[in-house]
Amino acid sequence: MAASDVKFLVCLKQVPDSTVRVKVAADGKSIATDGITWSISPYDEYAIELALEHKDGDPSTTVSVVTVGPARSRDALRQALAMGCDDATLVIADDKAGGLDVAKAIAAIVKEAKPDLVLCGKQASDDDQGLVGPALAEALGWPHVGMLTKIAAAGDGVELWREIEGGHEVWSSTLAVVGLVHKSAKEPRYPSLPGIMKAKKKEIPEKDLAALGVTPGAPRAEVIAMEPPPQRGGGKILKADGDVKALAVELARLLHEEAKVL
Amino acid sequence: MRPEAGQTERELAGAVRDWSAELAPRIADAERQGALPADVIHDLGELGVLGMGIPESDGGLGASTVVFALVLEELAAAWPSLAVGVSVNSGIVAGSIVRHGTREQRARLLPRLMDGSGLGAFALTEATSGSDAASLRATAHRDGDGWVLNGRKQFITNAKYAPFVITFARVGAAEEQRPHAGVTAFIVPTDAPGVSLGPSEQKMGLRASDTSALVLEDAQVGADAVLGEIGRGFGIALAGLDGGRIGIAAQSIGIARAVIERAIAYARERRQFGTPIVEFEAIRFSLARARTDLDAARMLALRAAWLRDRGCPFTREASMAKLFASETAQRVTYQALQVFGGYGYMREYEVERYARDARATTLYEGTSEVQRMVIARSLVAA
Repeated sequence: MAASDVKFLVCLKQVPDSTVRVKVAADGKSIATDGITWSISPYDEYAIELALEHKDGDPSTTVSVVTVGPARSRDALRQALAMGCDDATLVIADDKAGGLDVAKAIAAIVKEAKPDLVLCGKQASDDDQGLVGPALAEALGWPHVGMLTKIAAAGDGVELWREIEGGHEVWSSTLAVVGLVHKSAKEPRYPSLPGIMKAKKKEIPEKDLAALGVTPGAPRAEVIAMEPPPQRGGGKILKADGDVKALAVELARLLHEEAKVL
Repeated sequence: MRPEAGQTERELAGAVRDWSAELAPRIADAERQGALPADVIHDLGELGVLGMGIPESDGGLGASTVVFALVLEELAAAWPSLAVGVSVNSGIVAGSIVRHGTREQRARLLPRLMDGSGLGAFALTEATSGSDAASLRATAHRDGDGWVLNGRKQFITNAKYAPFVITFARVGAAEEQRPHAGVTAFIVPTDAPGVSLGPSEQKMGLRASDTSALVLEDAQVGADAVLGEIGRGFGIALAGLDGGRIGIAAQSIGIARAVIERAIAYARERRQFGTPIVEFEAIRFSLARARTDLDAARMLALRAAWLRDRGCPFTREASMAKLFASETAQRVTYQALQVFGGYGYMREYEVERYARDARATTLYEGTSEVQRMVIARSLVAA
């Protein structure tokens, strides 16, 4: 990776905030969105943080953000700018745009912006599909590395830390590359007050799918039903009124045979 | 919706609310130890909170007094001890230097109030001069180019964290007809020769906020230590207190809001006589009154802030806001505690901490009695 002027593009998605109590909408196949709070998807926030940590160490770094979504997604971009990202692009698309169309739209943005690294969260917290990142790498013909926790310059390329079961791997990659972020070293930063004021003054250009040469196809896979998890039944209480040893044996049996946790 | 504050102002306050929500697990320990963690003060610097009222040309955010009030409300709702430290640093101390400092003093001193390395302090009170502040006994004498200060300033918020203290001392003798004659504001670095701190006071509440004495024994400061003009210090103190009172009003509002939210949540959960206690009129009316007082207090504080932002006189309005908000905080914390019943008296439920913290608000930056004096004076003046 070049010693300076590294360009990051972070792809983010606006999703219902993790504190929202999600309810199924009347159509039975989407969630009710009236009055809910929207946020940047948590893994995307980690991706922003990783890019900004690189910028902290090397101020010549540029961090751009892009999202493909409805007009309200502008707030998520504004939040990323307030955290310290340099510029943002909003691609207007229907809420139900498929992952493949989103990836194609971002690929068109990437061809214009020519970043050295594209970072995505490894999956969005709303549908947990994890499709856009790999599809984007495929559309661009770029390598892609998942489960990232750290990025470091190494020669002309980058070293990429991946979390794996019980440890981590270090990969090297040529540039450009698509990285799917699992976590950043530090928790994503809060926007500073001056950051919020600066973000307000920045223009966020808006594009639509057609201008990027993307014609949304008919969905080939779609949600047909959505339902909340079943209500939890009451717990079981064992009476401690006699043989403690027998009680422990019975508890162990229930945990093994009924709860299946032992 | 809050029609009295704009979108940007609410967004800035919202950012502080998000940040301060993560403080909760640390508060009980810090209160027991009686200190604000250094990393929390550092983070407030990084977030730009400490420099919020300092003009952009001096490196700050240049935010309005309305923002200042809303941000302090958020900090106080999360942690009153932290809010009072910020109120003093970013309100009365920074404000006095912005208004009265020379270009050189602003460049030298303001960065230290916003970088999160400490919190500035303001030393007017003495053991024998509180509400009658003009009767202060600390003295300053010329010594070559500089000054030598002697005296003991009492109950100084942030003293332990302060890089410097705005300290009021008298140059020359007091005059019977002009009790504030000679009072001068000095910038006293806490590491200057002859400057020391007394032990931290053990307080009823706000225990993580430092309150110490500032001891001046032939303390030496340079010629550049004088803030404003020699003999005009009392005016600086009064002007600073006007703005500071908006901060204490906002702090009181944050405390009241925090306990009302907790009381409502508790009343919904707590069941007696087979029903959640929130169904009982005794509880509902108490909550209704508390919330009405809270909203009235906030309107008063924002009115004072709004007037100040427009360069209008706001002394009376700031005193009204401080008086009403602090008395509201005191009453409402006790009402909330009553909703919690016996649990409210226990440390685990935090309401007792807010109640102890609220007690200070009718005392500092002018007692309720002083506020009534200020308000009455402005009403009956010819």
